[in-house]
Amino acid sequence: MEHSGNRELDAHGKGSEDYLRIVDVRKEFDGFVAVEDTNLSIRKGEIFALLGGSGCGKSTLLRCLGGFEKPTSGKIYLDGQEMNDLPPYERPINMMFQSYALFPHMTVEQNIAFGLKQDGLSKQAINMRVEEMLALVQLGKLARRKPHQLSGGQQQRVALARSLAKGPKLLLLDEPMGALDKKLRSQMQLEVVNIIETSGVTCVMVTHDQEEAMTMATRIALMDSGRIRQVGTPDEIYESPTSRFAAEFIGSVNLFQGAIEEDQADYVTIVSPSLESAIYVGHGVSGFEGQEVAFGVRPEKVQISKEEPEQQYNKAKGTIEEIAYFGSHSVFHVRLPSGFRFMANFANQQRWASEGMTWGDEVWVSWGENEGVVLST
Amino acid sequence: MKKLLPHPRWAVISVPYAWMLVFFAIPFLIVLKISFSKLAIAMPPYTPVLELADNAVSLRLNLSNYIGLFTDTLYVQAYLSSIKIAAISTLLALLIGYPMAYVIAKLPPSTRNIAMMLVILPSWTSFLIRVYAWIGILKPNGLLNDLLMKLRLISEPLQISNTPIAAYIGIVYCYLPFMVLPLYTNLVKHDNRLLEAAYDLGAKPWKAFFSITLPMSKAGIIAGCMLVMIPAVGEYVIPELLGGPDTLMIGRVLWNEFFNNRDWPKASAVAIVMLLLLMIPILIFNRVQQREIERRLT
Repeated sequence: MEHSGNRELDAHGKGSEDYLRIVDVRKEFDGFVAVEDTNLSIRKGEIFALLGGSGCGKSTLLRCLGGFEKPTSGKIYLDGQEMNDLPPYERPINMMFQSYALFPHMTVEQNIAFGLKQDGLSKQAINMRVEEMLALVQLGKLARRKPHQLSGGQQQRVALARSLAKGPKLLLLDEPMGALDKKLRSQMQLEVVNIIETSGVTCVMVTHDQEEAMTMATRIALMDSGRIRQVGTPDEIYESPTSRFAAEFIGSVNLFQGAIEEDQADYVTIVSPSLESAIYVGHGVSGFEGQEVAFGVRPEKVQISKEEPEQQYNKAKGTIEEIAYFGSHSVFHVRLPSGFRFMANFANQQRWASEGMTWGDEVWVSWGENEGVVLST
Repeated sequence: MKKLLPHPRWAVISVPYAWMLVFFAIPFLIVLKISFSKLAIAMPPYTPVLELADNAVSLRLNLSNYIGLFTDTLYVQAYLSSIKIAAISTLLALLIGYPMAYVIAKLPPSTRNIAMMLVILPSWTSFLIRVYAWIGILKPNGLLNDLLMKLRLISEPLQISNTPIAAYIGIVYCYLPFMVLPLYTNLVKHDNRLLEAAYDLGAKPWKAFFSITLPMSKAGIIAGCMLVMIPAVGEYVIPELLGGPDTLMIGRVLWNEFFNNRDWPKASAVAIVMLLLLMIPILIFNRVQQREIERRLT
């Protein structure tokens, strides 16, 4: 199995689609469906994020992978082997728990050695592996400390080392950054990704934080009320959301309700009650004339100017209602005559660049014909 | 003026100290004083330790009571036997109490309180009544023997009452709540995720119990054992009522010295030595514990 896995490595060094297969997995608790019939295929060496709000079923799915919950129906295969009936202590899967669950009565070393001891390795082999792990997470100096003597970031690295020590086929991360403060978070995200990539383990993580998922994961599954709504790379999900939910969950978006007016092979126009002029989309979409759709365009794809743009479509006039200054850019909230609040980012490439426009000014917002997405669901 | 009056917080702090002084320190000093005096046919039945004679205060410490304790094998045996009975009872209470506390701590929160209530509830009836009830259960024609005879498991009544076995049963029964309570308080706080982490790392459930749950409940085990062991060493009523003449415990010796022999000095010396026997291990244990905490903090 190991060999065939390697042969199928693609150009990005990621293995075939079916290293971890989740087939029709469903989990019910006393009649409440936490996870609807779910199918997922995860490649070898991938960092895969389950992203969603609280109660969306992402943690339940993760616990099914770890063996802490038994799926009501469906199968889980890892490297061709069925996992369903294996208890957690027999699965080649290790988990880094939310808030780490380090053993408080053991030192850092003993925590990392715990899993290795269960395998009945020799003392020498255990010590070598522990050293290796401590070096990987750069905690050699703190080997004799107890968990409560460590900072949050250090505890996290111990937890990571402990879950990697046995060389699992699959690493599970449950809200890996949940217990850290914001500043440490962005630093640890990259550090954890580095450590995981160094060890080459396949990883499934759960998070509610879209930024974290986008920073750390190679692919993301967006979940909502027990269902997977979209699977894709971070840029796919951001640039081409397939549903209103996906468009709104990740980043901010200007979303217009409307109907297809003209449906051609190479372009589509959409009329929306929120906009005076029609929306022009420079490519065909699968739909029909008169179909109810939504059109979304991200604030950073929108131009804002005092002069009327030359293009015929995809523009609107309004007044600046609010300006939110973020340093690197400002977000203008422009009130259209229809009452719609249009968000447009303005990059502050020059100092005081956004000073030219201020509250109450009449401005034009516009966007290119391929900058938005048409969403039918 | 303000300086002369103590701060109100002293009033609060001094309450427990005053309590200790009046109900522990002073009685202790009185007992200590009596233990150094001689037996006398008088009222009270002992000689004074401090005497005013020829315009001088003379302090006469009579050590014969203590020397007698260590030369007379009765006392030495009574001490050893008390410690043995208390230690075995404590171990039995731990073996019975730990699983009880463990199961209760695993129950859903609503049933947990009911179960703890059931553990504590018997303590609401008088201690003496419960010990007498055991006489009724264990005596030759009591409930237990009747039941075993009816089930034809035995043909003759077992002699349990008035034996050390009955004393063990009584002590374990009476002190079990004191074992269960601290263990439960400890176990109920355990984070289930630690066990999950242990399973996740390859530990089978029993292995996870011995490497995670048991060491983490160490404080509860120690507290429970102390709460059972210390009063059990000095136990008088249970061995007297259930244990029969063969159960030699220091509490009974003390009672005999005091009430039968009216030898107050000897009885006091017995009590003081018993106190030291219990205090020294506790102090050593506290010292060790303190050092461990200090080492952890540095």
